[in-house]
Amino acid sequence: MKNVQWLNQSRRQKAYVSILGTTQLHLRNPYIVAWWSAAFPGFGHLLLSKYLRGFALFIWEFVINTQSHLNQAIVYSFTGKFDKAKEVIDHRWLLLYIPVYVFAIWDSYRTTIDTNKIYLAANREDADFQSFVIHPLEINYLDKRNPRIAVFWTLFMPGLGQLYIHRIGVSFFLLIWWIALVYLSHFLEAVHLLVSGDIGKSTAILSKEWFLFMPSVYGFAIYDAYVNTVENNKLFEDEQRHFLQKNFQHPSFKMPAARRE
Amino acid sequence: MHVLSTFEHSHFIELAITSLVQKGIPKENILAVPLSNTNEERKLFDTIHYADGISLFDKGAAIGTALSVVGASIGFKLQWGPIYWGLIGAAAGFSIGVILNLLIYKIFRKQRLMKRGKKPEVILIIECDHREAEMILTTLRNHYALGVAKLNVEGS
Repeated sequence: MKNVQWLNQSRRQKAYVSILGTTQLHLRNPYIVAWWSAAFPGFGHLLLSKYLRGFALFIWEFVINTQSHLNQAIVYSFTGKFDKAKEVIDHRWLLLYIPVYVFAIWDSYRTTIDTNKIYLAANREDADFQSFVIHPLEINYLDKRNPRIAVFWTLFMPGLGQLYIHRIGVSFFLLIWWIALVYLSHFLEAVHLLVSGDIGKSTAILSKEWFLFMPSVYGFAIYDAYVNTVENNKLFEDEQRHFLQKNFQHPSFKMPAARRE
Repeated sequence: MHVLSTFEHSHFIELAITSLVQKGIPKENILAVPLSNTNEERKLFDTIHYADGISLFDKGAAIGTALSVVGASIGFKLQWGPIYWGLIGAAAGFSIGVILNLLIYKIFRKQRLMKRGKKPEVILIIECDHREAEMILTTLRNHYALGVAKLNVEGS
C-alpha cells in the first residue's frame, strides 16, 4: 500500500520509504565516504545506499584478504616482523587486491560528488515522495529517532542500531558478518581470558586473520547508525514542514490583529 | 480569539491537529507555520546533530577506526594484547577527532556550539470562540506543546 500516486511525474524524488528501509539522498562529504572505502571496500558504497555493489565489494574484500593472508601480514608489519610478513603473504592472490581496492575508493568518491548534485536538484524540485508503506511483511514510515540510542545499541551489537532505524538490509548484513567474525576470531574466548587476567593466553587464542576485520566493521556500524538516524530525522522534519504548509495555511485564516479605535 | 502554541516537529503536532479537528475546530481555522530556517541554522551551529561532513562524529569515527586497527595490530606484540590496545586506539582516535573538530569550530571559526534542549520548530495558531479556548489549551498541552498562550485582542 503506497501513499503517493505518480500522476504528476516528478523528475527526481529525494527519498523513498520501502519495506526494507528509508532510502534518501542527502549531502555527504566525499572525503569521509572515500575514507570508509579505504577502511573497508564496500563501506563507502553502503553509506551512499548503493547496496548491491557495497555488499559485493565487501565480500570480495573478505575473500581476497583471507586468501592472501593480508591481515596477518599487516599485524607482522606493524609489529616489526617484516620477514614473517613477506613469508605469510600469498602471491597467487595479493596483486588481485589492489585494482579493486583503489576502484572502491575512487568510485565512492566520484559517486558522492554526483549524488550531492542530484540531491541539490531534487531538493529544489521538492517533489512529493513515497513516505509511508504498509505491507504484509513490514511497516515503514518517517519518524524521529534518537541518534544516541542508535549508537548505544550498535555498541552492544553491530546491526542493532540499523534495525532500530529500519535499515533491514544493512542490519542483517552487519549482524551476520559480526557473528561470523566473533566466532571465527575466537573473540569471546579471548575476552573471557582477558577478564580472568590471562592476557598472554588471550592474545594467543585470537586469530589475527579474523580479528583484524573487527575494528573497521564495528566503527562503520556505529557511524552508519548515527548518520542515518540524523538524516532520517531531518527528512521527517522536512516532510512534515511540507505537509503543514500545504494543509494548514488557509487563505481565509484571520491573523490576530489589534482592535482599531 | 486565538490560541497560540509552539511545537517541535514530531508526530504529536499532527495528532494535536487531528484531535482538534475531531473536536469540531474547522481545518481552515488552524494555522501551522513551520520555521523553515532551522535547517540552515543547524548547518552553522549544531555540530552534534549535523552529519554532513562537519559533525563532531565524522572525524571521531574515522580516526577512531583507523587507530583501533593499528592498536589491534601492534597489540599482538605489546603486553596488554590486541583487544585492550584496539579499544585504546579507538578511544584515543575518537577523542582526537572530537578535539580536532572542537578546535576547528570553537577557536578557528569562533562558532558557538548550539545549546541543548528543545527549540520551537512550528508555530501553531488556532482561531476559536472563547468557549473553546480551554479545551484547545488542554489538547495542545496533552500533545506536548512547548508553550501555549491565549490571545484576546478583539475582546470577544
